[in-house]
Amino acid sequence: MGPLIPNGVIGGGWDFVIAILLGVAFGFVLEASGFSSSRNLAGVFYGYNFVVLRVFFTALIVAMVGLLYFDYVGWLNLSQIFILPTFLTPMIVGGVIMGVGFVLGGFCPGTSFTGIAIGKLDALFFTIGLYLGIFGFSLAYPLFEDFFTSGDMGNVTLMEITGLPAPYFAVAFTVVALAAFWGTMFVEKRVRKNMKQYKF
Amino acid sequence: MNLEKDTIQQPKYINPYLGGVLLGLVVLATVFITGRGLGASGAVKSAVVTTSNTIAPKATEANHYMSQFISDDHSPMYTWLVFESLGLLLGGVLSGIVFGRIKKFRIDKGPRISNRKRLILALIGGALFGLGSQFGRGCTSGAALSGTATFALGGVIVMFAIFGTGYAVAYFFRKYWI
Amino acid sequence: MNRNYILLTVLMLVLAVGTLFLTTDDEPKQIAPEELLQQIIQPTRYVTTDQVAKMIIQGDPSLLMVDVRSADEYDEYALPGSVNIPLEELLNEGNMGYFGVPGVKVVFISNDDIRADQTWVLTKRLGVDGTYVMKGGLNCWMQTIIEPSQPDADAPSVDHALYAFRKGAQIYFTGAESATTDDGNVEVQVRRREKTNVAAGGC
Repeated sequence: MGPLIPNGVIGGGWDFVIAILLGVAFGFVLEASGFSSSRNLAGVFYGYNFVVLRVFFTALIVAMVGLLYFDYVGWLNLSQIFILPTFLTPMIVGGVIMGVGFVLGGFCPGTSFTGIAIGKLDALFFTIGLYLGIFGFSLAYPLFEDFFTSGDMGNVTLMEITGLPAPYFAVAFTVVALAAFWGTMFVEKRVRKNMKQYKF
Repeated sequence: MNLEKDTIQQPKYINPYLGGVLLGLVVLATVFITGRGLGASGAVKSAVVTTSNTIAPKATEANHYMSQFISDDHSPMYTWLVFESLGLLLGGVLSGIVFGRIKKFRIDKGPRISNRKRLILALIGGALFGLGSQFGRGCTSGAALSGTATFALGGVIVMFAIFGTGYAVAYFFRKYWI
Repeated sequence: MNRNYILLTVLMLVLAVGTLFLTTDDEPKQIAPEELLQQIIQPTRYVTTDQVAKMIIQGDPSLLMVDVRSADEYDEYALPGSVNIPLEELLNEGNMGYFGVPGVKVVFISNDDIRADQTWVLTKRLGVDGTYVMKGGLNCWMQTIIEPSQPDADAPSVDHALYAFRKGAQIYFTGAESATTDDGNVEVQVRRREKTNVAAGGC
């Protein structure tokens, strides 16, 4: 049956209406969980607030396990969904750059939008920075065009690269995430005790 | 289990695990309906291409990167991710209204850093994130969350690279946050 | 608070581990035992040597003969146009591609019809349609097509018609010159046999 739009269950005309509705749900959840504050987000790297880890990994394992059940019940054909292509070295480099940007800026693109929504100026500056960064990338693209397209492995999944079935990965991620939830609960308690002031 | 101090100071956020389950369901619904995941940096990219195309159409056409996203029938803004990001902003406003968090403009920062410095760092951080998201084929929501949830190898690589680097460099920037 | 988290942790673990037990659709389609039994007790899977001979003579493109005997036996004698897939090698890669092609009748042939029958049951287990067994196998083929016995003079006319067809087929397959009928006659006989729907005699 699913995915609905590529399979023509829902007409293409509804595409953008659905985009806005899903976006609203996405933004609401992010803001309501506290992702609109850079201090909350940066806390994950300093141990005083693990909200990023909790929300992110809960979402990840729910979506992963949910997809497997959707596939089993026949609502969704896993082979029909879009798989992010893998470019090995550019992706590692990009991730490293993003990691530094995350610690410096205290946001990631999606969360900065929700920060703007409730009037955070640092979120606004982060988004302007995003714009400038992508603009700079586009202008300088000829310089690293070869690197950008290097290491192309195609739309490869974990199952194809390892030969293991998908549920193994779902279980592994779930176990690691649940262990991290319990571990960080104690870390957070200790770190917060030593903090003088922490205003959200 | 919270200390008294925390309960007074903490604004009303929903339980992070509830938020996580809801976010997971949003990702699931997105994949179920559209066959692909969420995203955010793609909308900014569309904005970049649009402005560039308006100011200097010739140069944009000549640029090997931006020319991929130009189409003759419609503006580069007319993409799924732009509409989704508009919704994202709307959703943030909605939640801000519901939980009473929409106030006058303000800045979040660590206790040992000036406002000016915080804004400059946010700008630099944003620029780095923008640059990195192009190499990584997506940001935290597009590549790390949606990519990993769909078992894509690239998503896992981006996720570990972002968080791994974050922890590796956090020590050097600690005075900005704690 | 903590108790709720423990419950949620256990719930999530159970859900995740549950995915390990989800069966995927990748397994081959299999037939239910009751249905298989129904098909085994019905004789519809059998085709007679006469029908096979007729299809060979007419050059029926929908016929695919699969000889399930060993390669040695196949080299010694085999029906013209038949493919040799020994029963032992049935499940080898590539061999399954012969079966389940829409519009193609696969007829299994062995010395008697036991090995062919076994092959047929296997293909049914694998959910393949359009497979048949040549009744009596090559032994019956020898008795009916290669060395047909003449019916008694007072036998019904259908038996004589059948005999005439078999004599024609014999010439076709052996190239024997001794017979009285010629090739043109064979074709006429073939068509008439179809109209009158002669009951198959012999094995």
